[in-house]
Amino acid sequence: MGQVDLSTPLKGLDKGKAGEKLIKFWQELTAFGKVGLVILLFMIILAVGAPYFTWLPHDTSSGPPLVPPGGEHLMGTDELGVDLWSQISFGARVSLLVGLGTALLAGLGGGILGIWGGYKGGLAERILMRVIDIMIVMPDLPVMVILAAFFGSSLTNIIMVLALFSWSHPARIVRSQVMALKEQGYVQMAKSYGAGDFYIIFRHLLPELIPILAVSMVRLSGMAIVTEAGLSFLGLGDPTSRSWGLIINHALNFSGIYFTPFWKWWLLYPWLFLTLLITGLALFGRDLERIADPRILKGRY
Amino acid sequence: MELANKNSRIFEYLLTFVVIITINFFLPRMMPGDPFLHLSGAAGEEVWAFTAEQREYFTEYYGLDRPLPEQYARYVAGLFQGDMGFSYYYREDVSSIILRRLPWTLFMVVGAVILSLVIGIMAGIFSAWHRESWKDKFLYLFMVIFSEIPAFLLGIVLLIALAAGLGLFPLSGARSHFAGYMGWEGIKDVLHHGALPIITLALARAGGIFMLVRNTCTTVLGKDYIRTARAKGLTERRIRYRHVLKNALLPLITRVALQIGAMVGGAVLVENVFAYPGLGLLMREAVFVRDYPLLQGIFLVLAFGVLGANLLADLLYRFLDPRIKVENVD
Repeated sequence: MGQVDLSTPLKGLDKGKAGEKLIKFWQELTAFGKVGLVILLFMIILAVGAPYFTWLPHDTSSGPPLVPPGGEHLMGTDELGVDLWSQISFGARVSLLVGLGTALLAGLGGGILGIWGGYKGGLAERILMRVIDIMIVMPDLPVMVILAAFFGSSLTNIIMVLALFSWSHPARIVRSQVMALKEQGYVQMAKSYGAGDFYIIFRHLLPELIPILAVSMVRLSGMAIVTEAGLSFLGLGDPTSRSWGLIINHALNFSGIYFTPFWKWWLLYPWLFLTLLITGLALFGRDLERIADPRILKGRY
Repeated sequence: MELANKNSRIFEYLLTFVVIITINFFLPRMMPGDPFLHLSGAAGEEVWAFTAEQREYFTEYYGLDRPLPEQYARYVAGLFQGDMGFSYYYREDVSSIILRRLPWTLFMVVGAVILSLVIGIMAGIFSAWHRESWKDKFLYLFMVIFSEIPAFLLGIVLLIALAAGLGLFPLSGARSHFAGYMGWEGIKDVLHHGALPIITLALARAGGIFMLVRNTCTTVLGKDYIRTARAKGLTERRIRYRHVLKNALLPLITRVALQIGAMVGGAVLVENVFAYPGLGLLMREAVFVRDYPLLQGIFLVLAFGVLGANLLADLLYRFLDPRIKVENVD
């Protein structure tokens, strides 16, 4: 372990087990999935490295308003003269944070509830299923609009509300998987040898559940990003966050923008990045579902 | 599932109904502090100034000086009489404002459901028929991408390209102002205004229906009775739309019902893209001026609409599927 050659990490990765797995994973993806993954990676790099890729402030004016793209302003400026490229780079952080935060919260919460319901069975499971059924017929967006309007629309609030209304998907998938696994011979055997509930859950169930949970979380993050953009578009986004949806909201609020050339950058670029990210995530998620287990996840969303 | 019988389904809908009403009841009461502080305007928002008379109305309406169960009973009793409170911004009963706007949203959602079904079914059967050929692959790619783009983002493109760019459709609204069209002219005007919002919403939703029809039909096309139908010399058209479609119908109903919630959410956003005067646009206006009673009323109506559509789909499914009467299929 002492002498790791850092200068050729790629070569090392090729030979390593993790590298092989990654390559195998890549080969298993369809063309759609590959495109999706590349887009996703690009967005992550953009979000993490936002300060390095931009040279103008993203929250204050740095030039005349509504300058077309070119020169110092790669993507032009908005009505306050704020550089759009900087806004878009930093906006990627908001979108990805919302996606990741919601997916983690809802995935973890839904996962725990699903395991609890599926493993315990009986009353616990029935209550869980009833609640999930209620969540499914609840129209998400109107609920979120009203919650955001009442409780204020800070980024934390939005993530919490999104998680509150998306945990039912992972919970349902995990529950049905746990119920199937519970009856498996090796789990029954472990139980007959006197294994405790926690041992069985962590040792036998969790390894099987993590892949399907991860797939569900990719899907969740996509939905969360779409919904955050929708809320921002309605004017309910975090006003301090400058997300892509909020840029679109500002642009559309500019009266007569369709008859000015301004939409060619002010509206186009945030639209393009948002659409790219959402489509990329969806294509990647769709492919992951296919790989993970076509029977479990088919037709869920 | 042994519980999936008729009574438990109805119980479930009732429960959901109660949950929605309860959420709506507790929302203004759950806010930190007095609902008043918030009704009087959050910091930094466009504040609607509340007069003493309005404050009195809110205390009276929310019944804040009474015990909670009594407040709840009063709230529910009021709802059953159609009392959703009073909008201070519009100076009108919430229920009458909503009733005026509801037809537009209904028109849009129903239109979009029908159009998305037509597009999805035709394309799905076509794709299944030409499975694995370039026609199928091209259609599949097209539909996958369209189904992933949210309706409001799609709407912005259609608005710029078809309405602002080519001038084929009006930019906003549901009717021409001051034209006073009557009869056939009026219907044409409404359709012309409604076309883009409906197409947007339908396109965004057709993908899911397309996938479902394509998959079901591929399975059905391999069945013996299709071969029999062919052997009988039936026309291709008759096989496609009678024999194949019939078998794809049941999962389709479930699918549409599950999508209604997302469809209504999409409609709220799409209405705002096209300034279409339905409940979605009203919702944004209510958010903007912090008209909470109005906002809650819209939420209730939308939630009940989605619930009702699901119940309807459930009943329709029961009616159409002969198997369900004998045994319960999950």
